[in-house]
Parts: sequence; structure tokens; C-alpha cells
Amino acid sequence: MQEIERYSKRARVQHWIVVVCSLLLAITGLFLFVHLFGSAAEGGASRIIHRVAAVVFVAVPVIYFMLNPRRTLEWIKEAFTWGKADLGWAKAAPTYYFGFDIIPMPPQERSNSGQKMWMVVVITMGIVLVVSGGIMWFGKGLVPPGVFQWTVFVHDLAFIVGGAMLLVHVILGTIHPRFSEALRSMIGGKVSAHYAKDHHGKWYDRISNGKAG
Amino acid sequence: MADKAILFDATKCTACRGCQVACKSWNERQAVDTKCDGTLENPPDLSNQTWLKMEFREEGNNGDLRWLFTRRSCMHCTEAACVKVCPTGALFYHPDGFVSYAKEKCSGCGYCSQFCPFNVPRLDTNRVTGKGTMDKCTACTTGGFNRIDNGLPPACVKTCPTGALTYGDRDELITTGRARVQQLMVQGHTNANLYGENVVGGTHVLYVLEDSPSVYGLVENPEVPVVATAWQDIVKPAGYAVAGLVAAGLLLNVMVARINLLRKAKKEKEGK
Repeated sequence: MQEIERYSKRARVQHWIVVVCSLLLAITGLFLFVHLFGSAAEGGASRIIHRVAAVVFVAVPVIYFMLNPRRTLEWIKEAFTWGKADLGWAKAAPTYYFGFDIIPMPPQERSNSGQKMWMVVVITMGIVLVVSGGIMWFGKGLVPPGVFQWTVFVHDLAFIVGGAMLLVHVILGTIHPRFSEALRSMIGGKVSAHYAKDHHGKWYDRISNGKAG
Repeated sequence: MADKAILFDATKCTACRGCQVACKSWNERQAVDTKCDGTLENPPDLSNQTWLKMEFREEGNNGDLRWLFTRRSCMHCTEAACVKVCPTGALFYHPDGFVSYAKEKCSGCGYCSQFCPFNVPRLDTNRVTGKGTMDKCTACTTGGFNRIDNGLPPACVKTCPTGALTYGDRDELITTGRARVQQLMVQGHTNANLYGENVVGGTHVLYVLEDSPSVYGLVENPEVPVVATAWQDIVKPAGYAVAGLVAAGLLLNVMVARINLLRKAKKEKEGK
């Protein structure tokens, strides 16, 4: 069966490095967030891991952007392009994601509306977490205590929003039966033509026409 | 058990700083190298090594100069912001009401230093790695140096030669303090007051002052920052609720979708 490239090697390498960093950041962050896990933060080793992971978490997307500026900007533009077509997704999604076919899912672009939602969360919460984290790292004692206090508050709030969406992303991408080829595509980079047509109709038409023309 | 407290009567203090020395001596704190910049007040600030420090203030004019002394150390709040935000439980309430500290549990995050309304906890953390710990007065309840549990007054109180520092049941010290304030008022100090009786749930270091707290450089209305409450009591429980709901929703979603799609696949097979 015909295979279509969905994720370039660079994109996949970036993805999996960010995965490792995100998990390290989330786990070491939870040591301070959940007082029940607090004993794991004693001595401060987890805070050093948090900082190292944070540096890689920022550096890898920056390097990716420098290597692929056009693709990165395209991706960002895609995340913030919303229109009428997304309404069709919103109508169909509640039943569609539960495995019903009551309302037909309209053909989607390269990223469907749900994926775009995740992209928006990654970009916005990523920026909020990095900026607030930077203030917490370098600004302690330099910024007024009131500013520091709100920064910690915002850092945790962004973690809750980002973390909740991360749970959704992980489950839909790995074990949800609708998206049987999602994980495979992020490992090998390719999806079957059948899957592409079924899940990303508009994208499929566009690239297959492009190939023909 | 009745809460204990330290009463500091600023009007009886001569700023001999015996308390500063006794504190360092008992708690095995290092001396800090300082420069003389024209004042007897020394060292310049609280630090990881200096848990107690006397501040000197010159107040008044027209030749009517008052030399005021303020005791700067942990206030041992009943509603302590530091305890509220400490992630590891390194800061905790001693049964007698003091805010005690188990240094071996400290992660060095420094939230206590940023949320304390009195700016007391001090860090020695490295700015890049974040490694280090906090330190502050524990009212001599530190493990291994615990005077309170052994029926002794804190080292600073024990050494005070003028009776400016006393230690005892908090209720009794409030009575003593109020009486002293009355006396000061009669003597003409109309702004005399007992500081710490009610602020932040009541502190376990009480101050007899002959003038307003601000004249002594004390915070007039110290409060647990609103952010601390919003963060610990609203955002965190909300976070747990969101995580729980999302996880439960996803579990249900994957299960239902799996059943539906398996059924659909079976139908398609039979159809063929």
C-alpha cells in the first residue's frame, strides 16, 4: 500500500527530544507541585534536572527553527488559522471521537481542528512556562516578591492547562483506536494513503494533486 | 498545649546584641566578615548565618533624639505563608506554635523567602544550579539543638541581660505586654502598642513598642499574600480536579471508541 510522508526526520527527532524533556519537566515539577511527592525534591537534585531539561526543551525547537525556518513558520501559521471549517469539526467531534459515525467528519487539513488546538496550547503555554520559569530561575531576589509570587502562580496554571492537554495528546496519539497510525507516523514518519485520505482529506487531495501536477 | 512565645520589650533593650551572639553560638552559625560603615549595627542584614539581628534607628528631631532598637528575626506566625508554600514540608509548625524547620528536607526552591511577609527566610542557593538551602530562626527547635523540648528558653532569651526578652506561655506574655503598653501610655507614649497579638493569626514573637510599628521598621499589616491562598487553596485543587476529570474522560472515551470501532469492523467483515 502507498505510504505518504507526514513527519520529516528532523521533526521526529525534535518531537521525541521534547517528549523526554517534557516528561522530565513534568515529573520533577510535580515533586514541588504535589506536597505528597515533596520528599522527592529534598536536596534539590530534581531542581537541577528540571533546569537541564528546560534548557534542552528551549534549545531544540530553537535549533529546529534555525534549520527549518519556513516549515516552522508554516506550522505556527497553521496553528493559528481558524475558520468555518473548524465548526464542522466541532459538530462532528463529540460523537466521532467516541467511535460513532452519526455526524460525518468533514475532510480535514494536514492538522485537524483538535490537533490545531494542541498546537496552540504547545505554543502559548510553552512560551508562558519558559518565560515564567526564566523569571523563577534568574529573577529570585531581583524582581519584587509580589512579581515572583504571581510568576509561580502563572507557571503552575500554565502547567495545569498544558499538562491536561498533554494527557489528551498522549492518549489520542497512542492508544485511541481512531488514530491507529498516529504513533507509527511519529516514529517512522509515514502514514498509509488510506489513513491520510480518511483523516486528512484536504491535505491528501492537495499533496496527491501536487504530485500529479 | 498552650502556645509558647517570645516577648521583646523594645523599651528595655540596650542593643547589647548579646542575643545575636548567643543565637550564633547555640545554633553554630558562622561569623560574617563585615565592614564598619559608621554604625554599631552589624551585620548589615539577616542571612543564612545570621538568624537574629538588632536594627538601630535614630528617630526624632530638635535635639529630641530617640535611639530605637528593633529585633529582626522570624516572627513565628500562626498563619505562616512559608509553611503554606513549602513543597517538601521542611517548614512545619512546632506543637508550641513556633515555625520549625528541618533543613535536611529543604529543596532550596526559596518559595518561603518570596512569600514571607517579613522577609525573613534567607537562601544560600547558587543562582545557576539552584543548589543550596534556606535558613532561619526556629526559636531553638532545630533538631539536635532543641532547647524548647528540653524545657529551656531560646538562647537569645536566656542571654538577655535587661529583661527585654522573655519567654513563656503566649497568653501570659500578652497580659504582661498589654500591662506594659498601658504603663508606657501613662508615661506619655500615646502610640505605644503590642505588636503581633493578632496579625497573621498572631505571631509567636510579640513586641512591646513605644511608637507605631512603622517607626520601628516593622510591617504595619503583615498578611499571608493573596497569591499564596489562591495558589495553594484554589489553583492546586482545581489542577487535581482537571487532571482527574481529563483522565477519567479519556479512559471512558477510549473504551467506548474501541467498542464502537470493533463493532463497526465486525459489521463490515460480515457485510463482505
